[in-house]
Amino acid sequence: MKSKWRARLRLWGKKRGGRMSGWWFIGSLGEALFFAAVFLLGVFLSSVLITWQVMSPSTQVIKVFHGFWLFLGVSLSFAILGVVGFWYRVLKVVTSDEHREVIAQRRLVAEPARKQSQKIPPPNIPDLRLFTDSPGARLAFRLPSHLRENSGLVATGIFAMAWNAMIAVFIVYAAGSLFASRTPWQLLLLLIPGIYIGVQSARLFFRSFVRTIGIGSTTVEIEDLPLFPGRSYRLEVVQYGRLVIKKISVRLVCEEESTYHFGTDVRTERQIVYSQEIATHGRDRIDWGYPLRLECQFSVPTEAMHSFQSMHNAIHWKIIVDGEANRWPSYSRNFPVVVHPQPQPNRTSAAS
Amino acid sequence: MIRLLGLQPTYMPGDSLEFEYRVTNVDDASIVAVESSVCWVTEGKGTEDLGVHYFQRLSGNSLASIDWSIAQRVACPLPLSPLSYEGKLVTISWCVRVRFFLSDGTELMAQQPFYLGTVTRKV
Repeated sequence: MKSKWRARLRLWGKKRGGRMSGWWFIGSLGEALFFAAVFLLGVFLSSVLITWQVMSPSTQVIKVFHGFWLFLGVSLSFAILGVVGFWYRVLKVVTSDEHREVIAQRRLVAEPARKQSQKIPPPNIPDLRLFTDSPGARLAFRLPSHLRENSGLVATGIFAMAWNAMIAVFIVYAAGSLFASRTPWQLLLLLIPGIYIGVQSARLFFRSFVRTIGIGSTTVEIEDLPLFPGRSYRLEVVQYGRLVIKKISVRLVCEEESTYHFGTDVRTERQIVYSQEIATHGRDRIDWGYPLRLECQFSVPTEAMHSFQSMHNAIHWKIIVDGEANRWPSYSRNFPVVVHPQPQPNRTSAAS
Repeated sequence: MIRLLGLQPTYMPGDSLEFEYRVTNVDDASIVAVESSVCWVTEGKGTEDLGVHYFQRLSGNSLASIDWSIAQRVACPLPLSPLSYEGKLVTISWCVRVRFFLSDGTELMAQQPFYLGTVTRKV
């Protein structure tokens, strides 16, 4: 009994898992009241600002163009946040999950009308236009690359730039103080770890940058999209750069992806559920103008699940190129593809 | 109670799903609203997602003319995707769901699962 009450009255403890352990009604009511209070605060502050401006412009504390619009914007955003949050909580209580989902499907802004020639894509399958907008040189489409390492490179670059810019400002300030015969000891002490972090982040960025451009780009072209279970497709993988490849392999992979809340964290878990080796190539030398070309063919399994995308769950199909090169770290590059469900020749018209 | 009118609980994309539902031991006058839906839900490690393919809500005057001793029949064409799937992290399940909202605030819910496609189940 004691632990039950402790769970219900927990305020600061970190909640683990996604299941609600408190009173559902109290929680929903509390959230609705919170957002109602935020809305009222926003309305109150906006009214005070506007009425003060209109009724007594000479005594106003915040003059127009001196923070007035900023304060008004913040107050209005409180009101909007409050009203949206409040109604979302109310809808959550008074409507069923299905009804709410149907309301959410009726978007505020209608989707642009499709041309008659355009096929309606099957529901919950990634849009094919993102994959077919780049024609290939030898085969029909060049697949877009999904490089996780590139996002890391961009993030490291932004951090290194921002951090070093901040440190540069502090260095200039410290130098100014030293020239004025004042020694800012506290600032100098803070600058020592700051400069160290700046140098290390810049080093990490340039190392990642050299590794990315040094290995050279990889392109993958495919005969047709979308892919269908049971059919065969031609594929061409081209590895550019100037390096000695120890081994390069091409795989067709199906990966499940789940996003879930763990307490206050949002985590994503991925698991490969199917992997098929399409091609492999041993030791070879690649030079500028003489890329390595691998032509191969693969089949999508007959009982394969199609690509799927919902808000928190996904099933991705992709071509993965794994490479090992002399004097370079091994690399792995992903090229997503879309698998559609097996067409039902006599039944598709009924589905629309 | 929900009853699928197909011979087996496996349907192919584009097939017409027919089902009927009825409620017993409930006073007709106490029914405020009825929602019937055909939907898929994801289960597994990730946060649950819900997709509604068919939804019908009966309330007010449209409820008055209904005799609940007779089963209500509904038919809807099934979509091309997503197919039923049982993976390691993600499971996609299809079901017919009916909710009765009563005047005293009670909510009665019944659901009947079915398979769409043969990725996880042979016909």
